[in-house]
Amino acid sequence: MSLVETIPDHVVQDSLDLAVAEVFSTMLNETSTPAEIETTSNNLDLSGPHVVGTVGFIGEPKGLIYLYFETAFAEYCAGRMLDMSLEEVIECGDEVVNDVIGEITNMTVGTFKNKLADRGMPCRLTIPSIMRGSHLKIEPIHSANRKVFRFDIGGQRLTADVLLQPGD
Amino acid sequence: MRYKILTVDDSKTVRIIVKKAFKLYDCEILEAANGVEGLAVAAKENPSLVLLDITMPVMDGVEMLTKLKSDPNLKGIPVIMLTAEGGRDHVLKIAKIGVRDYIVKPFKEDVLVQKVGRIIDLKPISEAPTKAKSIFDPANILVVEDKPAILEQITNGLKHTPWQVKGVATTGEAIDTCGSTAVDLIMISLSLPEESAFTLFRVLRANLKTKYTPIFGLVVKTDTGTQQQAQQVGFTALATKPLDLDELEAKIARAMNLDTSERYFRQEKNCLVMSLPEHCSNHVLNEVSAYLKGKISDAVDSGISQVVFDLHAVKRLDMAVIKLLITAMQACQEVAIHYTMIGSTELAKECHGYEDTRGWTFYETMDDAVAALKPGTPEMATADAT
Repeated sequence: MSLVETIPDHVVQDSLDLAVAEVFSTMLNETSTPAEIETTSNNLDLSGPHVVGTVGFIGEPKGLIYLYFETAFAEYCAGRMLDMSLEEVIECGDEVVNDVIGEITNMTVGTFKNKLADRGMPCRLTIPSIMRGSHLKIEPIHSANRKVFRFDIGGQRLTADVLLQPGD
Repeated sequence: MRYKILTVDDSKTVRIIVKKAFKLYDCEILEAANGVEGLAVAAKENPSLVLLDITMPVMDGVEMLTKLKSDPNLKGIPVIMLTAEGGRDHVLKIAKIGVRDYIVKPFKEDVLVQKVGRIIDLKPISEAPTKAKSIFDPANILVVEDKPAILEQITNGLKHTPWQVKGVATTGEAIDTCGSTAVDLIMISLSLPEESAFTLFRVLRANLKTKYTPIFGLVVKTDTGTQQQAQQVGFTALATKPLDLDELEAKIARAMNLDTSERYFRQEKNCLVMSLPEHCSNHVLNEVSAYLKGKISDAVDSGISQVVFDLHAVKRLDMAVIKLLITAMQACQEVAIHYTMIGSTELAKECHGYEDTRGWTFYETMDDAVAALKPGTPEMATADAT
C-alpha cells in the first residue's frame, strides 16, 4: 500500500488548515476559517477572474496544491502583505500581485509539507507558478488523490485544490 | 559602520518585506534573486550578513551556501536561512553546511530583525523628533516598581521636567509598554520578587527596541550585594533609595545624553547670560564648570563680547559658588570680554564679607547690567583671582 493511500484524510485536512491559518495570520494578520470539504469533484465551482498560485512537492508523497484567489482578493492580499493601499497595488500592476500570491502559496504549501515531513513524509518544494483566468478547471490524472478545501478569510473565499500522488 | 544585509530570494515580495523590516535600522539592504546573483553581490559588496532562501531558479540556496562556505573570502559571512523549506531533518542537514540561524516562512518581521540583531549590532536610525536632545525636550520614562510610594516620589520629583513618567508594577506590563511605546529610559526596582528585575533586564537588552535604552536599577542604599550584581549585569546606573531626586534627575539627563547647558546659559540682548539656580549643589556647579569655557568660546565665535552672570535666584554664596564665579571671570578675561553681575542686595552685602568678593558689583536688572557693560562705564565687575 502506498504512503499516500495511508495518509488519513484528517492529517491532510489538519495540515492544510494549520498551514493556511499560520500563513494568513503571520503575514496578513487575517483569521481563516475552514469551510466545507469537497473531496473528489472536478468542478471547483469558481466563477469570475482568478489568480491561482501553484507549488508542487516532490518526495514521499509528491503532489501539487493550487490556491485560488478571486482577483480582488488577490489584490487585497498584496496590499496587506506589502503594506500598500489598494490604489498603490493596482498602480504597481499584476506582476506584484502575482508575486505576492506566489509567495503566499509557497509559504502555505511549505508549511503543509513541513507538517507532513515531521510525520515522516519528507519532500521538497518546487518553484511557485501563477496562472490567471476565469472558469479554470484542472483535471488531475486518475492516480491522483484529490481533495478540495475552502477557507473564509476576511469575508473572502480561498479555495485550495490538493492533488497527492504516491512518491517515486 | 553601516551594515549591509544581502537578501537572496526569488520572490520580490520577500525582498520587499525584508527591506521594510529593516527600514528603521541603520543598515543597507542588498538584493539578489538567485544563488548566482547572490554570490556575485556577496563577492562585490562583502555583506555583514546573508538572508538566504532555498528554493530558487538558476542556483538554489543550498548550492549558494555550499559555494559561499568554500570560498576563503566569503566563508566568514554569517548566513541565516529564510525559507519555506522546514522539517527537522532538512533543517539539520542545512545546519551542517554552516548557517547561523534558520527562519521558516511564514515569518514575523520582528522575529527576523531580532535574529539578525543577535548576529550584527543593529542600531536604530536616530529620528530627531522622537529623540530627546535637550533638557527641555519631552521624553518617556518607564518606572517598573511595585511600591506605589516610590513611584509617586519619582513622579512628583520629576514633575517640573518635560519628561513623562509612566509607572508599572510588573515585568509583563513593562514588556508590553516597551513594545507599544518608544521609551527613552527605564528604571527597574531591583527588589521585584524572584529576581525578576534581572530577568526583565536581559529581556530588554535582547530586544532591539530597548537594546540601547538606558536602564537604571532602583536599589536600597545599604543593599550592596544587589548593587554589585546590577553593575556586573550592565545596568546603566543605580538610583539608591532613599532617593535624592536632584541626583536622579542629573543621572537621567546624563544617561539620555541630554544637553543641560540651556538651564544655565542663554543669549539675550547680545550678551551671554550665565544663570545660577537657587540651590547650587555640587552637581550644578560641576555641570556649569563643564560647559563654561565652551560657552564663552562659542559666544566669542558668534561675535558676542559681553557676559552677564545672573545670580538673582541665588540665596546665599558659599566658597564653591565663589570659586566657580572667579573661574568664569578669568575665562572672560582670557578672551578679553567684559562681564557684569545681577544679584540681590543681600547677596551684595554677603560679598562684602569675603576678601575675594568685596569688590564685586551687582545690578538688580538685566537692563542695568547691560547698560553697565557699555564702554566707559566705571562700575564694571572685576575678579581677583589671587
